[in-house]
Amino acid sequence: MITTTALTKSYGTTPVVRDVSLHCEPGTITGFLGPNGAGKSTTLKMIVGLARPDHGSSIINGRPFVELPNPTRVVGTLLDPSAMHPGRTGRATLTIAARMAGVPTTGVAHLLDLVGLGEAADRRVGGYSLGMRQRLGIAQTLVGEPKVLILDEPANGLDPEGIAWMRALLRDFADRGGTVLLSSHLLHEVQATVDHLVVISQGAVVASGPLAQLLASSSLQLRTTDPEALGRALRAARIDYVAGPDQTFTVEVLDGRVTAEMVARVALERRIILTELRQSDSTGLEQLFFSLTAVKTAQPQEAAA
Amino acid sequence: MTSSTLTRAFQLPAEPSRTDADLAIPFSRLLRVEYGKATDTRAARWLLAMVAVTTIALMMAPILSPTSIEQSYAGYLSYAAMGLTILLPVVSILTLTSEWSQRTVLTTFTQESRRIRVINAKVTVSLLLAVGGAVFGGLVTAAGLGVAAASGRELEANLSPGVLVGYLLYVLLNVLMGVAFGALLHNSAAAIVLIFALPIGFALLGRVSTAVAEWIDSTTTFNWLLTGDSAGHLPQILVSVALWVAVPLAAGLLRTVRREIN
Repeated sequence: MITTTALTKSYGTTPVVRDVSLHCEPGTITGFLGPNGAGKSTTLKMIVGLARPDHGSSIINGRPFVELPNPTRVVGTLLDPSAMHPGRTGRATLTIAARMAGVPTTGVAHLLDLVGLGEAADRRVGGYSLGMRQRLGIAQTLVGEPKVLILDEPANGLDPEGIAWMRALLRDFADRGGTVLLSSHLLHEVQATVDHLVVISQGAVVASGPLAQLLASSSLQLRTTDPEALGRALRAARIDYVAGPDQTFTVEVLDGRVTAEMVARVALERRIILTELRQSDSTGLEQLFFSLTAVKTAQPQEAAA
Repeated sequence: MTSSTLTRAFQLPAEPSRTDADLAIPFSRLLRVEYGKATDTRAARWLLAMVAVTTIALMMAPILSPTSIEQSYAGYLSYAAMGLTILLPVVSILTLTSEWSQRTVLTTFTQESRRIRVINAKVTVSLLLAVGGAVFGGLVTAAGLGVAAASGRELEANLSPGVLVGYLLYVLLNVLMGVAFGALLHNSAAAIVLIFALPIGFALLGRVSTAVAEWIDSTTTFNWLLTGDSAGHLPQILVSVALWVAVPLAAGLLRTVRREIN
């Protein structure tokens, strides 16, 4: 479990993180989403005690990170896969982590196989690709058999197969009761991985909640053979619509007060043929993401408030 | 990677009997890990080998110059000390700085967030390496003396406990100076340049000012430890230790504990 309360930090007069409150439950994967420079990494660093918040606090499994006696037994942290000694082998890197955590180093070979580095285990990390370092970093987070994972941009440098692999691994971890917080600036990476989302823009949380809820469509897309009749029918049913080209209509769902079934019944009663009735396309996480971040960018005075 | 391999691969303990997670990491473990980090890379091993090579090379000086260099046990030992302290401080600098250069502090300080404990372990490792180096220097001295004696030279057997303590202090202080610079600067190149540039600066300034030459120039003040003149120069030695070891080390510990990691 990770809980942060109103984490706030400025560098000089520039606010970097403003009142960020997160809550990550065991068994869930939370995506921390935002464009580069939004304050994701700074927030994660405050959670693990590498940066000091101006105010606000964070708790991991009941304690502030800096009070964990043996942190890697509770939290696996991967902040930067490039931050590894290039002169050490993958095996040596994990062995150090195992010694530090106080777990048997016999598990190292197994972890290397798990992340697909069994063959490269005795090569020096300096010769690893970014994707391989990312895999090694993920292995390192698992060394202490933690209950919580904090990963900054873990999909960076992974190929699609690697991302699918990571997704399976994290899902498995969460299904065993683990808590995962991962950040990303690439939406499609997290869309299939996370079940909760926290979207951050210019240091502040602009949206958060279950993925399904955030992705819920805001409008219905209709098409008919008789636009005039459908327009009359919708007006009679007091359903607002916008008529588009090619006999299409867009109807706002207004938080569920208008449903596809209602629209279908209206059409049925007037014997109007619908050739299309579906959630509109503007439901993707991408649009959510861009609309949220674009709004904030367009209103810097609000951001400064 | 199939999910069945994942399932077998790592086990989240179902119900925690994980008492070890509630125990602080023992200092002995930190020490062991930091000793490993200081010595397990190819670069570190080369550097340690070079420490040995320079020590042996300097031991050749009194052997090859029997007329111009004092032929005594203490004299030979001082050459071992000088050989050791050319590169041993660089080893300690790297022990303190390389994690910042490689940015592995991101990992290390999330493995033990009480940074002072990590730094204490690194300082201890540096001191252990210094003691190990001093012992090695003693062996090289014995070998050098053996070679000299075999060539039929008269050698003054003037090793007193005072000489040995002075030798050990000389090596330890030079290493601690490297530790202090590394702890303060967090940058290998800057700390190494500084530790090699300082004696040159001292030599130049010392010609102008005797205050610099006698109080601030650690090359001179530490040298009194080797030549057995330390008793008469204790204040000067303490001032230079404060200036080049104690103050930068204290400031470095403070900086390390407080520094934000980006």
